Amino acid sequence: MAIVEIKNVVKDYPLGKLKVRALHDVSLDIQRGEFAAIAAPSGAGKTTLLNLIGCVDTPTSGVVRIDGQSTSDLNDSGLTNLRLHKLGFIFQSFNLIAVLDLYQNVEFPLLLQGGLSRKARDARVREVIEQVGLTPQLRQRPNELSGGQRQRVAIARALVTRPAIVLADEPTANLDSTTGKNIIELMREINHREKTTFIFSTHDPMVMGRADRVVKMADGRIVDDASADAAGAA
Amino acid sequence: MAGRISFGLLLRLSLRSLFGHRIKVLIVGSLLAFGTFLLVFGTTLLANVERAMEASVTGSLTGHIQLLSRDAKDQLAFTGPDAASEQDLGVLHSFAEIKEAALSIPNVKAVVPMGRHVAGPLLGNELDRTLEELQAAMDGGDPATSDRLIRKLRRAIGMLQEDYRLRLDILSNTEEIEEAIADLKTAAADEFWSDFLQDPRPVFDFLDTRIAKLGETATNVFIPFIGTDLDAFTESFESFRMVEGEMVPKGHRGFLFNKTFYEENFKNRIARGIDKIEEARRLDGKTLAEDPALQQSVKQLARFTSYITRELDPDDAQALDASLRRLLPEAEGDLDQKLAAFLELDDENFDQRRAFFYEEIAPKIRLYAVRVGDTFTLRSSTRAGYPKAINLKIYGTFEFKGLERSALASVYCLMDLMSFRDLFGLMTVEKREELDSIREEVGIDALSRAEAEDALFGGSDEEDEPAFAGLDEDSDDAIDIADRVAALTTGAPPTDAAADETFDPDQLDDGTVIHAAVVLEDPTRLDATIASLQALSAERGLGFQALPWNQVTGIVGQLITVVGAVLYITIAIIFLVALVIINNSMVMATMDRVSEIGTMRAIGASRRFVLALFLVETLVLGALASGVGAGAATGLTLFLGEVGLPASSSDFLIFLFGGPALYPSVGWTQLGVGLLAILTVSVISTLYPARIAARTAPVVAMQTKE
Repeated sequence: MAIVEIKNVVKDYPLGKLKVRALHDVSLDIQRGEFAAIAAPSGAGKTTLLNLIGCVDTPTSGVVRIDGQSTSDLNDSGLTNLRLHKLGFIFQSFNLIAVLDLYQNVEFPLLLQGGLSRKARDARVREVIEQVGLTPQLRQRPNELSGGQRQRVAIARALVTRPAIVLADEPTANLDSTTGKNIIELMREINHREKTTFIFSTHDPMVMGRADRVVKMADGRIVDDASADAAGAA
Repeated sequence: MAGRISFGLLLRLSLRSLFGHRIKVLIVGSLLAFGTFLLVFGTTLLANVERAMEASVTGSLTGHIQLLSRDAKDQLAFTGPDAASEQDLGVLHSFAEIKEAALSIPNVKAVVPMGRHVAGPLLGNELDRTLEELQAAMDGGDPATSDRLIRKLRRAIGMLQEDYRLRLDILSNTEEIEEAIADLKTAAADEFWSDFLQDPRPVFDFLDTRIAKLGETATNVFIPFIGTDLDAFTESFESFRMVEGEMVPKGHRGFLFNKTFYEENFKNRIARGIDKIEEARRLDGKTLAEDPALQQSVKQLARFTSYITRELDPDDAQALDASLRRLLPEAEGDLDQKLAAFLELDDENFDQRRAFFYEEIAPKIRLYAVRVGDTFTLRSSTRAGYPKAINLKIYGTFEFKGLERSALASVYCLMDLMSFRDLFGLMTVEKREELDSIREEVGIDALSRAEAEDALFGGSDEEDEPAFAGLDEDSDDAIDIADRVAALTTGAPPTDAAADETFDPDQLDDGTVIHAAVVLEDPTRLDATIASLQALSAERGLGFQALPWNQVTGIVGQLITVVGAVLYITIAIIFLVALVIINNSMVMATMDRVSEIGTMRAIGASRRFVLALFLVETLVLGALASGVGAGAATGLTLFLGEVGLPASSSDFLIFLFGGPALYPSVGWTQLGVGLLAILTVSVISTLYPARIAARTAPVVAMQTKE
């Protein structure tokens, strides 16, 4: 069973008195452990699709299932719960909590989840920070870190709860190409090692080149769904 | 489970967030701290003032509870305009029964009968007194004293002559003045005195009837007093303290002056003026160089030199002139001018001149218009409005500890209850017997007011004045008729009760009183005791109502209520402003933090978490700020508790503070209420912004672009 199932999803947004259709009858399955890119120019609907997968939005019609659970059936608290336990987020602008230091930012989702002992939590936090290579900066504040370091923190925060899916919205858009490449490499490595599903939006050909699968969109529709090699070849 | 919220996390996030928004914290925090400070300090001070004032009032005037007739038409008031006007308070008929009943309540320590009234002393002027002394010296065969007094009289007549000549230029009623000048000319002439030693009668008559009235009228003062069981009063009011003289012996009639009232109204004006300057310099640290009020008093003193000169006999005048010449060699002119120069006081010469005044001048003049030990006549009107006078011995002066300088606590002098009943026209056992005997003498069995009017004015065919209708012959007012008969026949207010008259102390409780003070063992159980007293009155038909002290103090009690109201309104306004500002700044902060909140929501924070986060943040800020405010208030209170908050020379403050300074103590209730109030205000003001924050959609996290 696919970890993400999208069936005939339509998403409309109100724009004044008009309705703007952001997604037209989109269907898409993503399997466990995939490293998938959603590629499209701006305004083509990739962020809308990502929002639906990320449970921060629900479809106007059609079905979005995350690990078998339809998001349309859930209220706000159910969706929140789903995000907390099944999903990890990496944002284009990193979105770290400015008042918390690196360690605390990473620890935050675990504290929201509760349930772990202090010791287990500490071990887990240190482990993911180690994974993203930021152990020396443990007590630094976000504003003391470079862009690449911040995105690594965001990755660590997304991974710390061991989510089934990590969603990344243009994770390299605010980074220079070398740093961006490093970040994608890191995500890729984790994907291989942990078998975590990664879904990210991008319009960067370099990032698309690293993906197992590239889903291309235009005007709210999926126009191409192929392996990265194929995409690269095309 | 995601629903469970870790308080530790909330607290940590809150502290971090507060630290991250220092400006907001500073503004909102200062406001909250100031609000707490004002609330805690204000209410603490108010509670302390109330407590001190309670001690002032209950310890000097009212006791904790006042018992008053249920039929009282007016509100009992010890101070303020209500106290100055005549109050119809009814009477408590059977004081003994009421006292016994009240004392049966365990918390009641004492019941003191009372009645307030006003009387004017009948005082002769300096000429009257000198004539009296001369008469006594002549009767006693003391030629030296007689000679001195004659010369004093003639000197005074000479001064009056000058005085009246001056008046002729200023005043319009020349006829009267010319007549006075003619009389004074007669009295000043040598031939008027030539036969004096052989035949003093015509001289005395002329001086008594024509001259004495021309002298300065004596102090025209009304003395408010409380007629009471003096022994019970002094035992029950713990701050009572005798200053001069002795307590009125048990079973004696007598009068006690309140020291401050006595000084203020009966002391020689110059002496009093000097005393007050000395007090202001010593107790309030004022200086003549800097204080305009004191400078004004000094200027006035120089205008009152006649208060000294008119009292002197020629020998003393000469002696004083000589010693003033030694003290002030450069001063010129007559004795008045020299005295005026002497009274030009400044900080340098004040102590020396004050000493000179008390060593050289005071012994030569009459320092007080009436003296302790004197017997004086008090004139008043009875309850029904008829003139009445009694002679009373002044046994001494008293004060209330701590309230010596408060005129408010010095309003009332004290009189024995029996004399009060006489002056006020209340029936006592002996009066009833006396009335009966009068009735027998005049041959009327039942003397009613209407009959008395008829007897006096020859019948009343017209409508009787309704005020007189319906009075029966046994009412307390009946005694007035006898008095009025006497008044109309002699032309003077009836005087009875010789000054040294004694009475049976049992009569104190037997008769009627106007109201009564109840002193409690435990003043904190005031309300319960009042309830018990009310119940007792109803149950036994005693006809009294029990009023707490703060309802009978009059204007003072009202003022404290007003001060309290102003304080609470101020605090309410500050809280309202705080509410708006906190609300505003939190809404702004929420807007600023939309992305942060959205991120939290996206990665799994529930709405409840966000709501709680905002509330905890405000609670932490509120707790810190109100801690600072309450700490400052407590610190200031403790500091003032050590050094005292001076009442300065403000009479009202002295009364409110229960002494020259207030030593406030920390009120735990006020502290608790203050902290709670400020936390409530902060939480209320955060509810709206917190709701906005909680509604933030997680999707905004995705839209954030740096």
